[in-house]
Amino acid sequence: MTTGTLPAEAGTTVPAVAARRPGLLAALRFETLKLRAQLRAKCLLIGAILVPIAVVVVVHSQPRPPKDTLFGRFATENGFAMALLVLGFATQWVLPLLTAIVAGDMFASEDQHGTWKTVLTRSTSRSTMFWAKTAVAIAFALVALTLLAASTIASSWLIVGHQPLTGLSGQTIAARSALELVSASWAVMALPIVGFTCLALLFSVWSRSAAVGIAAPVVLGLVMQLVGALGGIETLRPFLLSTPFEAWHGLLAAPRFTGPLLDAVVTSAGWSVVCLTAAFLILRRRDITGG
Amino acid sequence: MDTDPTVDSPVDAVDAVDVTKRYGDLVAVDHLSMRVAQGEIYGILGPNGAGKTTFLRMLFGLIRPDSGSIRLFGRTWAEAGVDVLDGVAGFVESPRFYPYLTGLQNLEALALLDGDDQRARIAEVLDIVDLTGRERDRVAGYSYGMRQRLGVAASLLREPRLLVLDEPANGLDPGGIRDMRALVKRLAGSGLTVLLSSHHMDEVEEICDNVTIMKRGAVAFHGTLTDLRAMAPDPGHRLGTTDDAHARRIAREAYPGVVVEPDPDGGLVATGSPARLSAYVADLVRAGIGLREFTPTETPLEALFFMLTDAGTTAERDVA
Repeated sequence: MTTGTLPAEAGTTVPAVAARRPGLLAALRFETLKLRAQLRAKCLLIGAILVPIAVVVVVHSQPRPPKDTLFGRFATENGFAMALLVLGFATQWVLPLLTAIVAGDMFASEDQHGTWKTVLTRSTSRSTMFWAKTAVAIAFALVALTLLAASTIASSWLIVGHQPLTGLSGQTIAARSALELVSASWAVMALPIVGFTCLALLFSVWSRSAAVGIAAPVVLGLVMQLVGALGGIETLRPFLLSTPFEAWHGLLAAPRFTGPLLDAVVTSAGWSVVCLTAAFLILRRRDITGG
Repeated sequence: MDTDPTVDSPVDAVDAVDVTKRYGDLVAVDHLSMRVAQGEIYGILGPNGAGKTTFLRMLFGLIRPDSGSIRLFGRTWAEAGVDVLDGVAGFVESPRFYPYLTGLQNLEALALLDGDDQRARIAEVLDIVDLTGRERDRVAGYSYGMRQRLGVAASLLREPRLLVLDEPANGLDPGGIRDMRALVKRLAGSGLTVLLSSHHMDEVEEICDNVTIMKRGAVAFHGTLTDLRAMAPDPGHRLGTTDDAHARRIAREAYPGVVVEPDPDGGLVATGSPARLSAYVADLVRAGIGLREFTPTETPLEALFFMLTDAGTTAERDVA
């Protein structure tokens, strides 16, 4: 052992105190490096590309369309309707799960591996690590959503076709406009996706368990959808994080209405701020004693 | 680069004043004060649960003290935040890494948090800890000893002025202990300030200048190893004879400075100054008593360590 040059032996390399402040960018690169090495993240992104193709192929091959679902009636003969059918299905639990698999593990994995002390005994603050992890989790969720949307729209277009779409009000939407509206509908999902990412991050910090961090947002999402489907809760519904998943419906109506989009922005932002604030305070105050 | 008035100034590397940490009714660290000068090799000794690791966690800011302050190179967490750790490196308990990354990837990732220029030193620190050739293996496949050495490598990557090692030889096999101690001795000899936590007196005795012995969160001894040796009791020896009763009678009648008691495990335990013990043993042989065993039970410092940390009636002392 020991043939290298020890720090003090090097003579000129004794550092000055307060010489290094790696900052948020370094922490972002740190988190990205870790995420890129995780098999789970790679599989998730590959799945976001391949699974929609398989779903489109399977649904398209069915002799009878799923008429009891939104845009299901036209799904086997119209690619845009197929893309919206998949979107409606994804909002039930796929999108929350898609983001929770990475976000729910983001903080808890440090507890699981006992690596908080490895990271925090360097010149990196808890707040820097918190924002780096949050940014990477949100970025990953948006990338996964983009791949899922692109794969769904492209495969629907290529496999089913791109005829004019019949809107929710029975109006005919030209193919070019339909493509824009379908893309916009998928893009709107970014709002609740960010909210669910922040929810998963909160569970990850609070529970220190990846299982809870991943499962809890999905279960909570399903419960909120169930509650949202009940009657007599009109005042509560706008506050549910599952409600923004329906905000795209107005885009496909005639005339279009954008009120739900604004509600979705407010609801998603509210959930995100509350979850991140709670998560930040928990992480900042807790004693790192594991490992 | 920021300038700092503490650079090359004679401030202590560590200056802990009246630090206390409680967990409910349990006082994990009880009004601990300690100063480690720059360039010093300082040992913190104590049995498991004495509060050593809790203190080191507070030093690194992983937990907050309930009262008291810890200055690192003259700065506190309250004053400087995480910047207080500049020039400080080490690990608390066993070092942990991301198992799905290789040793090299772990160091590359951690180097990002230290500043990119540190990546150039990775090969050098791997060489120091003798992990060259294994750096592309996943950490999940590393032995415990390899992870300990990777922990030292990760610490050296920061080019520390203060290196904090928490029981670095803990859990290693005899060969690993030998290698780790050799590495720590070499690091200590290179001019670094080293704060070494251990529950092995011999480990600290080999390399440390000063030592704090902790018992149940409080300081049981604080001073130099020379002071500690001066306090050490006479060495004890396990004695096996053909006639234990006769051997005890000779001790009682002719050697008042030698205490011979029955050993619960069989035979006798003789305690006294080395000179008196030698004379006593020679007398036993002259008296026709056969001698089957004469082996030291523990070193004087070990005996003192156990006395300070185990015996509840032992007066706590501070000779610093």
